[in-house]
Amino acid sequence: MEHHLLEVDGMRVSRREDLRLMTGAGKYASDWNLPDQLHAFFLRADRAHAKIVSVNVERALKHPGVVRIYTGADAVGAGYTRPLTMLTFKGKDGMQVRQPERPVLAHGRVRCVGEPVAMVVAESALIAQDASELIEVEYEELPVVIDPEAALAPGAPQLHDNVPGNLPFEFEAGDAAATEAAFAKAAHVTRLKLAVTRVAPSPMEPRACLAAYDPRDERYTVHVHVQGVNMMRKQLAAYMNMPEDKIRVMARDVGGAFGQRSLGYPEYCMQMLAAKEIGRPVKWVSTRSEGFATDSHGRANYVKGELALDAAGNFLGLRVDWIADMGAYLTPTGPVSHLRNPSTCLTGVYRIPALYGRWRTVLTNTNPIAAYRGAGRPDVAYVIERLVTQAAVDTGVDAAELRRRNFIPPEAFPYKTPTGSTYENADLPGLLDKALKLGDWQGFAGRRSASGKAGKLRGIGISTVIENTGAGLFPKDQIEMHVAADGTVTAYTVCHSQGQGHETSFAMIIAETLGIAFDRVRVRQGDEDHPLIGNHAGGSRSTVGAGSACHVTAKKLIEEGKALAALELGVEPSQMAYANGAFRTAESKRSITLADLAKAKKFVVTAEGSFSSTFPNGCHIAEVEIDPATGVTQIASYITVDDCGRVINHAIVEGQMHGGVAQGAGQVFGEEVVYDRATGQLLTGSFADYYMPRAGLVGEISMEEHPTPSKVSPLGVKGMGESGCTASLPALTTAALDALRPLGVQHLDMPLTPSKVWSAIVAAKAGR
Amino acid sequence: MYQFNYVKAKSLKEAGELLAAHPDAKLLAGGMTLLPTLKARLAQPTHLIDIGSLAGIKKITLKTKKLVIGAAVSHHAVAVSDEVKKAIPALARLAGLIGDPQVRNRGTLGGSVANNDPAADYPAAVLALNAKVVTARRRIKADDYFQGMFATALEPGEIVKSIEFPLPLRAAYAKFAHPASGYAMAGVFVAQVGKHVRVAVTGAGAGVFRWSAAEKALRKNMSPAALDKLTVDATDLNEDMHASREYRANLVKVMAQRAVAQLAGQ
Repeated sequence: MEHHLLEVDGMRVSRREDLRLMTGAGKYASDWNLPDQLHAFFLRADRAHAKIVSVNVERALKHPGVVRIYTGADAVGAGYTRPLTMLTFKGKDGMQVRQPERPVLAHGRVRCVGEPVAMVVAESALIAQDASELIEVEYEELPVVIDPEAALAPGAPQLHDNVPGNLPFEFEAGDAAATEAAFAKAAHVTRLKLAVTRVAPSPMEPRACLAAYDPRDERYTVHVHVQGVNMMRKQLAAYMNMPEDKIRVMARDVGGAFGQRSLGYPEYCMQMLAAKEIGRPVKWVSTRSEGFATDSHGRANYVKGELALDAAGNFLGLRVDWIADMGAYLTPTGPVSHLRNPSTCLTGVYRIPALYGRWRTVLTNTNPIAAYRGAGRPDVAYVIERLVTQAAVDTGVDAAELRRRNFIPPEAFPYKTPTGSTYENADLPGLLDKALKLGDWQGFAGRRSASGKAGKLRGIGISTVIENTGAGLFPKDQIEMHVAADGTVTAYTVCHSQGQGHETSFAMIIAETLGIAFDRVRVRQGDEDHPLIGNHAGGSRSTVGAGSACHVTAKKLIEEGKALAALELGVEPSQMAYANGAFRTAESKRSITLADLAKAKKFVVTAEGSFSSTFPNGCHIAEVEIDPATGVTQIASYITVDDCGRVINHAIVEGQMHGGVAQGAGQVFGEEVVYDRATGQLLTGSFADYYMPRAGLVGEISMEEHPTPSKVSPLGVKGMGESGCTASLPALTTAALDALRPLGVQHLDMPLTPSKVWSAIVAAKAGR
Repeated sequence: MYQFNYVKAKSLKEAGELLAAHPDAKLLAGGMTLLPTLKARLAQPTHLIDIGSLAGIKKITLKTKKLVIGAAVSHHAVAVSDEVKKAIPALARLAGLIGDPQVRNRGTLGGSVANNDPAADYPAAVLALNAKVVTARRRIKADDYFQGMFATALEPGEIVKSIEFPLPLRAAYAKFAHPASGYAMAGVFVAQVGKHVRVAVTGAGAGVFRWSAAEKALRKNMSPAALDKLTVDATDLNEDMHASREYRANLVKVMAQRAVAQLAGQ
C-alpha cells in the first residue's frame, strides 16, 4: 500500500502539510518572537507539599538584566486563582464540585513538585534562570500523599481547606439497586482491581508561550500551543476574570497535543500580567524536564470492576468503583473527561441490563491530570474488556464467543444504554467476524505451539470497543469560506490540527463538495482575522465537527453562488445548475465560474452546524510472544477492524490508528509516571527513566474497515483519532496475560515491563 | 547551562597544562555525558577543554598482537571500522549497540572509559579483553583501572590517550538494553584470550565487574550449559523502578549464556 498517496473519489493527493512539517518549516509556539520581548523563567517547587514561609527575591532582583520578579502574592493580588471548571453538573447526592483554588503562582503552599513559585522576567532566558537561583524560598514541609486510595483514607494529609477528604467531586451513573439485584441472581461474578497508570503524554513540541499587551485596544495577544484558539482563550479569560474578547490567541503549527495541549496553563496568565505591567512582550519556553513535571499527565484511574453473568454466559450487570487521581488541582478537562466518558460508555459494546458506577475524584501531591488521547474512554474500555476476557476464562468460554453472545445486536441500534447515552449504530457481529478471520483466531493454537517449540510463550488478546466522540465545548462549528478572483477557495476554521492533517482532509471534503481540484482549496486554521465559533480538535471530533461544517459551508457557497450567478446572467436562481466550479443556466449554454463571481465582488460565505457525538467502534486482536528468560514481550501480530463510518482519507486514518496503537502499546509495556511515595519527588523526570515507545515496539498492523455510516454528519464520518488507544490497551494486555496464564499468572497491572513479567513467571513457577 | 570558557586544545600536552592551570576545568570530546549534565546545571566547570578533534587520538591501529583505538574515536567509527571488525568483531558490535546514531557519532571510547558510567557498554569490553588504558603517564591494566561507580584509577589531570586491546581468540557481547534509556541493564562481554576466559558484566552493579564463577565454568566447558547451574548473587546489584536486583541477576546469567552462544560459530 502506498502510504504517501491518498485516494478519494478519483483524486490522488499527498498530505500537503508534510513537506512543511518534515523540512522544519513549521512555525511552532517557540518560533514566535516580538520586538523588545523579555524572557521568563519559573522557579518551581522542589518538594511536593510544603508551606511557603517566605519568598525573598531581593538578591535576585539585583542580578543585572532582571526586570521584575513575581510571586504568589502577585497572582493572588490579581485574582488569578480559579481555573475554569467544566464540572457544572451535579454529582452524587446533588454534590457540587469543591473547586480548589490554584493561584497561577503558588501562594501559601506548594502541593506538587514543579508547581511555579516565582516568575523572573529578564532581558534573556539565561539571565532569568541565573537570577532564579538567587531567590530564597523558605518552606515548612508538610506530609505528602501520592497514592489516591491513601489520600481518601481518614487521617490522610489534606491538600486544600475547602476539599475535605481530598474529595472534590463524587459522581455516580446507572442504577445501584437494579445492579445490586442483578448481581444477587448471578451464576458467576468476575471481579478485578485494575490500574490504568499515570502517563506523560510528551508531545514532541515543548510548551511555549509569548504574551503581549497592546494598550491601544487594551488587548492581549498570546502565541501559544493550542488544540483550538477558542478553548485556549476561554480558559485564559476565565482564569483572569476578563471578557474573552480581551484576548487574541494565535497559533500556527502544533507539534503534538494529545489533550495535554488544550489546557490554558497557569504560567501564561502570569506572562500576560507581566506583559501588561511592564509594557513589553514576555516569552517562555519550557524545557523537557519541566514538561515531565508540569505538563498535565494522563489516565491515573484505579478501578474495581465487577461483571455478573448468568449460567448461560449472558451479562446481567456491571459495576465499577472508580478512583480518578486528579493530582494536586483540578484541570478543566481532567475530572469531566474521567467521569463523563467512562459513564457514557460503561456498557461497552454489550447489552448489559444493569449498570452502576461510582466515581471519586481525588487530590494527591502530584502533577494535575487532564485529558489524554481518549480521555477516560481507553480507561473504561480497558476495565470492561479485561472483565469480559477474565469472565471468559473463569467460565471456560472462548473470549470471542462470549463477546458475540453479549453484543448489542445490529437491530437494537440506536441503542439507549442504561447510563443514558444513545449509541447511533454499529455492526458488531460483522466487525467480529471480519476480525476473527483477519487475525486467524481459529489458527492460534498452532501458532502457540510453534512459539512454544522456540521457547516462547504466545498469547492472544481481543478487544471489542466503542467510544463516544466529543460533543464539543462550543455549541456549533463554523467555517468561513472565501472565493478568490483566481478561483481558489480558502476555508477558515478554529479547529486546530496538531498533526492530524486537517489541511489535507478538510480540503478534500471541500474539493469534493464543490467538484473542484484539490489544489484549488486551502485551509487556514486559528486565523485571528477570521474569528469563528467552533470547537478545538479533541475527543476525535474534528472531521465530524469542522469537517462536516466544511461540507455544509461548501453547499451554502453553491446556493449563494447560484443566486449571484443568476443575477449576472439575468435568470432565476432556480434555473441555475452548478457543477465542477461553474454555474450554468438550465436551458442555455451560458455559464459563469466561481472565479468570475469573485472577480465582481467579494464572495464570502460562513456556515455552521451542530454535530453531536458519533460512536466509532472496532475489534482489535493482538498476539504476543514472551521470552520467559527475560520477560520481554514482543508484539507478534496486530490486526484492527474499525468502524469509523465513511473514510475521507485512508492514509490519515491508518496513521491515526498506528499512532493510537503505539501509544496504547507504550502504556501497556512501559510508560508510567512514578513519584516517590514518601517524598513526592518525580522519579521519571527524563527520557532516561520514563519509557517512551520506539517505532520497533509495534511492527506491521493489518487493518480493515467495517463502516456503518453515521447520520450525525452529512459526510457519514465518525471520529477515530483515539480508537487506537482505546482498543489497544485491552487487546495487548489480555494477549500478554493469555501468554502467561498457562503458568498460573492471572493478573498483572500495566506496565508489563520485562522485570515485572519475569518476576510474575518466577513467582508463578515457585507457587506450584 | 552556566557560562564557561571553551578552549580547543592544540595538543594533549596543552590540554594537560590547561587542566593543571584550571582545577575546575573539564575535558570535552563527544560531550554525550557532559553536555546533558551541563544543561541540567548539575556541573559548573570554568573551562571546557576540547580534545575531540586531536588527530593523534582519533586513530585505529591494528598491530600483530593488539588493536589500539584512540580515545577520541567515535562509537560509530569503531562500529564500522574494518580493522575492528577483523580483529575483534564483538567490539565493533558493542559499539554499534551504544545509544542511538546521534550518540554514536558524537560519543567517544575515551570519554566512555574515563567516565566509567556503571551502565556503559565499553567498560565490559575493556575489562573482559584485559585491555590497557594508555595515558600520557602510564599504561593501566583494566583490572586496576575500573574502581566502581564513575570511579577510575585516573589521577587528577591524567588524560586517556588510547585503549590497547589484546587480540582475543574469540569474544562476544550480549546486552539487555534498559527499556527507557537504552543503557545496559545488563551487558556481558565474554572473551577468550589465550587460555584465559574473562567474563565482564556492566549495567547490573555499581560498576563493571568480573563474574569469576562463570569464567571458571567456561574455562572447562565453553558452552551456555556450563552456566546453567550457576546463580548470580543479587545482593550488591542495582535495583530501581525498572528492574529488581533479582531480575538483573537473572539477566546477567541469561546475557552471559547468550554471549557464549554467539561464540559457538567463532
